This record gives sequence, structure tokens and C-alpha cells, in this order.
Amino acid sequence: MISLVSRSRHKLHRKILASICFALLLPLCPSLHAQTIDDGIMLANKTLCAGALYSHDSWDHYWEGSLERVNGNIGTVTTQSLTMAANYGITNWLDAIINVPYVWTNASQGVLHGQAGFQDLALAVKFKAISLPVGHHGALRAIGVLYGTIPMTNYTPDLQPLSLGANSKTISGRATLNYLGQRGLYINGTAAYTFRGNVTLDRPFYYTNGQLFLSNEVAMPNQFNFGTSVGYRKNNLEIVGNYSQQQTRGGGDIRPQDAPFVSNRVNFSKAGATLKVPVPKLKNLQYWFLYSNTFQGRNVGQANTITTGLMYTFSFEKRATP
Amino acid sequence: MIPKTNNLPRLLSLAVFFALAFSSSSCSKDIASTEVLPALTPANIDANAGSWKMIVLTGPTQVSVTAPGATGDPAYQSELATIKSGQANLTDAQKTAITYWSSGGVLRWNEIMRELVARSDLPPSPNPDGSYPVPNPANPFANPQYPFSNPPYAVRAYSNVAVAQYEALKVAWYYKFLYNRPSPSKVDSSIQSLMPTTNVPSYPSEDAVESAVNTVLLTLLFPTSVDEINAKAAEQQQAALLSGRASPSDIAAGVALGNAVAAIIAARAATDGMKAAGGTSAIWQALADGATARGEIPWISQDGPPRPPMLPLFGQVKAWMLTPTDIVNERATPPPSTSSAQMKTETAEVKSTVNNLSRDQLATVYKWADGVSTPTPPGHWDAIAAPYISAASYSEVRSARVYALLNMALHDAGVACWDTKYFYFNPRPSQLDPEIKTQTGLPNFPSYVSGHSDFSAAGADVLSYLFPSGATYFNAQAQEAAMSRLYGGIHYRSDITVGLAQGQRIGDYTIRFAKADGAN
Repeated sequence: MISLVSRSRHKLHRKILASICFALLLPLCPSLHAQTIDDGIMLANKTLCAGALYSHDSWDHYWEGSLERVNGNIGTVTTQSLTMAANYGITNWLDAIINVPYVWTNASQGVLHGQAGFQDLALAVKFKAISLPVGHHGALRAIGVLYGTIPMTNYTPDLQPLSLGANSKTISGRATLNYLGQRGLYINGTAAYTFRGNVTLDRPFYYTNGQLFLSNEVAMPNQFNFGTSVGYRKNNLEIVGNYSQQQTRGGGDIRPQDAPFVSNRVNFSKAGATLKVPVPKLKNLQYWFLYSNTFQGRNVGQANTITTGLMYTFSFEKRATP
Repeated sequence: MIPKTNNLPRLLSLAVFFALAFSSSSCSKDIASTEVLPALTPANIDANAGSWKMIVLTGPTQVSVTAPGATGDPAYQSELATIKSGQANLTDAQKTAITYWSSGGVLRWNEIMRELVARSDLPPSPNPDGSYPVPNPANPFANPQYPFSNPPYAVRAYSNVAVAQYEALKVAWYYKFLYNRPSPSKVDSSIQSLMPTTNVPSYPSEDAVESAVNTVLLTLLFPTSVDEINAKAAEQQQAALLSGRASPSDIAAGVALGNAVAAIIAARAATDGMKAAGGTSAIWQALADGATARGEIPWISQDGPPRPPMLPLFGQVKAWMLTPTDIVNERATPPPSTSSAQMKTETAEVKSTVNNLSRDQLATVYKWADGVSTPTPPGHWDAIAAPYISAASYSEVRSARVYALLNMALHDAGVACWDTKYFYFNPRPSQLDPEIKTQTGLPNFPSYVSGHSDFSAAGADVLSYLFPSGATYFNAQAQEAAMSRLYGGIHYRSDITVGLAQGQRIGDYTIRFAKADGAN
């Protein structure tokens, strides 16, 4: 028996939390940098929303395959990031988004060296394909997003879980259906499929998924994710609950007592909440606070993630028209 | 109010957009899991290999192989009929297998073994009380599975298999040229030769010898992979038969020969000291006490929870080319005292190195990490040898000689390295300075001398002797492997320089044997 594993002290707690989330169709942000990519909000024509977001993600329990455990060689793994984010409304129906994250990692126990550096540049175009009034109560929008990431540095993907990321180029297509009511009711559903490019390691062979590969190249399984959000959004104030899931379409499990491997099958369910509030007396400045908890998963940490930051909205349209 | 917009053009563009997104990434994701090797046509059939010096056996006739029946006998003729009917109904899988094995069983079995080592290279997970279970050879499928093929386990395994295969092929060559039975495709022109034809007599079959030796020993060493091992062995024998290279009686004689030699090597392995190499808690404590008594800081495990040291008595395991006295004589001189100024300087060097790595240095760390779930450093050296063996178009017996010499040297370097490590029981840099964080997994055994350095110098030494044109490359690889451990923050510079020197001295023992083995 592999049993360092402290089995599920909080399992019941998580189950309750999960049920509540499902019941309320609570939302969730699938990734740290997905803000504005998976929501149903479009910026107005010639408006720039930009700012910085700090994120703190940590876990000590994780799933080695489906086995829940802790590991004295890493203790608590903490991943922090500072992301410069900008979202520009090219037209009322087309936004362009860019995220530049700087990431640093740390393990509280053991001897492994944390990593730090710029991770993956994310670029997206988001466009509103349909916008339908629903009576006099609100509007339904269908939104498509083409989203790509590209590593900004040649960081190693081979020191999981302390690597900055997977060092894979990705491209994903996302579809979002959103309802926003006149009185502030916000309901969002979103799903995406992500293609991930092969990853190159610094070593000539590796073992994963029951096989020794005689190559430095790793095939990365694609990923599917979806999420729902429900809450209130009006007058620059947003309070939303989130739920999301990720499914990786292949890949092996973490081997017993081994480190995670870059192409592992990483699945998870997360629940959390988003709070966006206007900063008093500073028109157009909004404070963001997001929380999520990974309550179910495979080959992933039971992470608590907090993201916080300030985003400022500039409207070039207005300035141009005094 | 939200204005109503004209949706159709946008819907269309959305569709295009997703079509592009989904089609652009349909690149191939196939990654090689086997080496692409050319079919082997030996440049020299090494007809005298039956007289090459033995390592464990007394001579080729220690194993007897009875004379084959004449090719005109009805029994043999019916064997030929079996081949003909098989060739008339070849499946795609059989054709693939013939191509695969035509590049030489020695290379293929080494490749297979590297995979078995990587699969079993997993340290046991701790128990809830912080102790660690020990894999049990009597119950290999239980958790933790047997074995944990760490570097000492792996190098002993590689060397036993390589030596057994080499001895068995020398015996096979002796009888091949004693009996001179041609291959089925030469006896009967209606049998196709689906592998390159050679003038190596076919009785006993070298493919069968290899499959039997590997089956017996790999099953002993990696019992949980028994099904895969048997399948590969059966495939190799069938490929030899269907390609017109060997008849059923050639194969049966080869299997018997292989089994007999494997049993001799297995008997040697059973008493080589490996069973006791894990030591006991009293022995572990005595090692620490000994270092303390000498005024040194003893090594402690930095695994969480602390793990017993890896195979502390592996330094007493029987070597191939060195006597126990030789091992003691080749023991490295003492490392800098843990309280010395030099040790402070070396520790500071590790810290500044690991905190200021270039990306190239980091790549070197990962290239040579060879930690959990890998073929281990000895397997890495076997992989380095593979393209040289293939390019040389050696006969099977000469290819087997390369792996035997290489892996004996690697094994003996491992024994001498472990002897030195546990004699001094010297702490790792991250123990002397807890601020040192490593860029790769920290091995759970004492620091001095570096195993990577020892293995790599021995490997490069032997390969440079066998393939002089590659010497510059092999030595550069050894230097790189050794330095990767300083970059990774897990070894001091003196671990590396002294380890390299020791590895080369150990490799020289094997070279001295090779120079007089009759194969030159």
C-alpha cells in the first residue's frame, strides 16, 4: 500500500462544497489568465481595460493518479504569478486580449529549487457572434474566442511540479453563452477545446504512460474544459460564483513516488467566486478578487487559488468626443 | 437597451475561425518508442569467436550441444516445410517483427532492458509511520513492486545480462563453426532469406540463444514484466524462423544453450552479495557513528521522511574484473574534512553555481538527471553505445562483447563508487548548507564520490578503447555528465574530479582484459 497518503480528511467537506456549487451552478475560472476570456462580457468600442493581477496558488495534498496523498519531499507547493493584462475593444463586437504572466514557484519542504520567470504569452480575440434581446429583461450573447499561448522563455517543463508551466504552444477555440439581465442577473456557460503542441525536453528519453520513449519530444494530449458562472453584474460591480472542469484527453498518471510528468492526464473540478468592485472615488478603476478551490482531480494539486488586482478602463472614444 | 445587431456575418466568421482553430493543430503526435536501426549485415562473421576468452565459463565446452541431424534427414526436411508454409502466409505483424529483429538481437534486447529498468526505477512510497517498505522478490507484484531498479540494481542487472549473452554467444559460435550447418535459406533455395544473409552457420541459432538468455535473466531481474519478456522472446524466435535464418532444431538447440549459460550466470548472481546489500538498521547506524568518530559530519537522508541509505553494502558485491582487494585498493583517498576550509569553499561553489545557472547548464542537468523512471546512468551509457555498435555492423557475438565489456566496467565502477561512498559517509552540499536548493532529485546516499562521474568515466574509457574514433565525444559526454551534478547542486567539485579519476582506473581493468581476450 502506498499510504503516506492521508486519505480525505476533508472529503466530506469538499463533497458538500461541490454539491452546493453544482446546485447553484456556481462558476469558476479555468485558469489564472482566463479572466475576460471565458466570461460573457464585451468591451465597448475603443475601450481599453488594463491592469495587473497577482495570483497565489498553493496545495499540499495532491492526486497521484487517483490516489490522494501528501509528499514530504515538496510539502506545500506554491505558485505565484503577476500578470499584466489588457483587453481592448476594437469594435463593440470584437475584443483583443493579451496577458503577460511572470511566475515563481516554491516548495516548502525538501531540497528542490523553485523556478521563476516569464511564462506563456497569451493572445486572444473574442467576438460576439449573436446578441439577442430577451424581452425587456436583458440580453443573450453568444461569444467565440480564439485563444493561443506561446512560451516567452525557454523554461524547463521537466521539473514538475515546480516548472513554470508545460512550455507548450497551445491554441484553443472557445464558445460562451451569456445572459445579462437589466437588473444585474449574470449567467454564463463556456466550453473550450485546447490543442497543445509537442514539448521538447533536455533529455534524450523519458518514461511515461507505461512506455519508454526514445526521444526528447513529448506529445501533449489535448484538453477540454467547461465552466458555468452565476451571479450579479451591474454598475461596474460583479459578484459571481464559478464552477469549472478540465479533462485532459490522454496522458499517463503520475507514477508512484515519482514527480509529475509534463504530459500527465491532468483533470480537475474547481469551484470559486469572483468579486469585481469599483474603487471609490477613482472612476474607471476596478478591484478584482477571485478565489477557487480544486476539490476533485487526477494528477493535480488540491489547490486554493487567489487572484487579486486592479484593472483600469480607458475609453478612447469618449476622449475623442468631448 | 441592448441593440439588436445583424448576426449573420459574425456567425459565419465565427465558423471560419473555429474551423481554423481545430484544423491548424492536427500535426502528428507520434513519438518514437523504439530505435530505427538498419538491418544488420555483419562486416566480419568472427568465425573464431568460439575461442575468445571466457569471463565466467571455463570454456565453450562447459555447455554441450549435440550434433545436429543431417540436412537431408526427413526430420529436417519437415522443418523446412514448416518454414515454407510460414513464409507463404506471413502476416503484417510478422513482417514488422522480422524487420525489427533484423537489426540485431543484442541491440534490441538492450533497448528492451532499458525500458524494463525505467519502468521499475521507482523508490517505494513511505508508510504512514514514516518508515519505508522494502520490495519483496518473493512477492514481486505487491506494492511496492520488486525491484526498485536504482542505479546499483540496474548496473548489476545490465552487466549480468550482457555477460551471460556474451558467454552464450561465444559458446554458440564455437558449435556453429564446429557443426557448420547452413541456414535453411541456403539449404533450400525455395526458402526466402528475409533477413540479410550471412555465412554464419545456423546451428545453434544465435537468435534463440539471445532470447533464452534474456528471458531467464530478465524474468529473474524484472519479474513483473514476465509477459512482455516472453512475448519478445517468442517474437524473436519466430522472426528467425520465418526469415529463413533458423530451423526449429537450430532454435531448440539455441534455447537449450541459452538456458544453460543463463543458469550459470544466475547462480553466480545469487551469491554475489547483492541480497545483503541493503544492510540493517545496525549497519546504517554504525556507518554514521564511524563518520562521527572520525570527527566528520555523517551523511543524513534528506528525503521526507528520511529514507534508509540506498544499498550501503553494494560496495561489497562481487565485481567482474576486480577482486575485493582491488576494490579496497581503488578506494578514493579521503574527501576534504567536513570542517575544513576547502569543504567550505566547495560548498560555497555549489551554492553560487546552482543559484546562477545558465539555461545551457540547466539543460545539462536534465539531460543527465537519469533519476526516477529512467534507464539510470548505466543505461544512458548503453544508449550512447548503441549507434556505434549499429554503425560498426558487428557480428552478434562482437556486439555482445561491447555490451559485456561496457557493462562490466560500469558495474565495477558502481561497486567501487559505493565502497567509497559508504566508507566515508560524506554529507551532500544541501546538508552542510540547507540554503542550497537542487535543480534535480537528490540521490539518497552519501556524496563522495559522484556516481555519475564514476560510471561515466568508466563507460567513456571502455567505449573509447572499443571505438577510438568516438573517444573525444565519449570523454566530452563523461565530463558533461559529471559536471551536471555540480550544476544540479548535489555534488561538490571534488566528488566529481575524484569520481572521474576512479571511474577511469576501474574502466582500465576491463580494457586490460579486452586487450588479451583473443577478439582483437
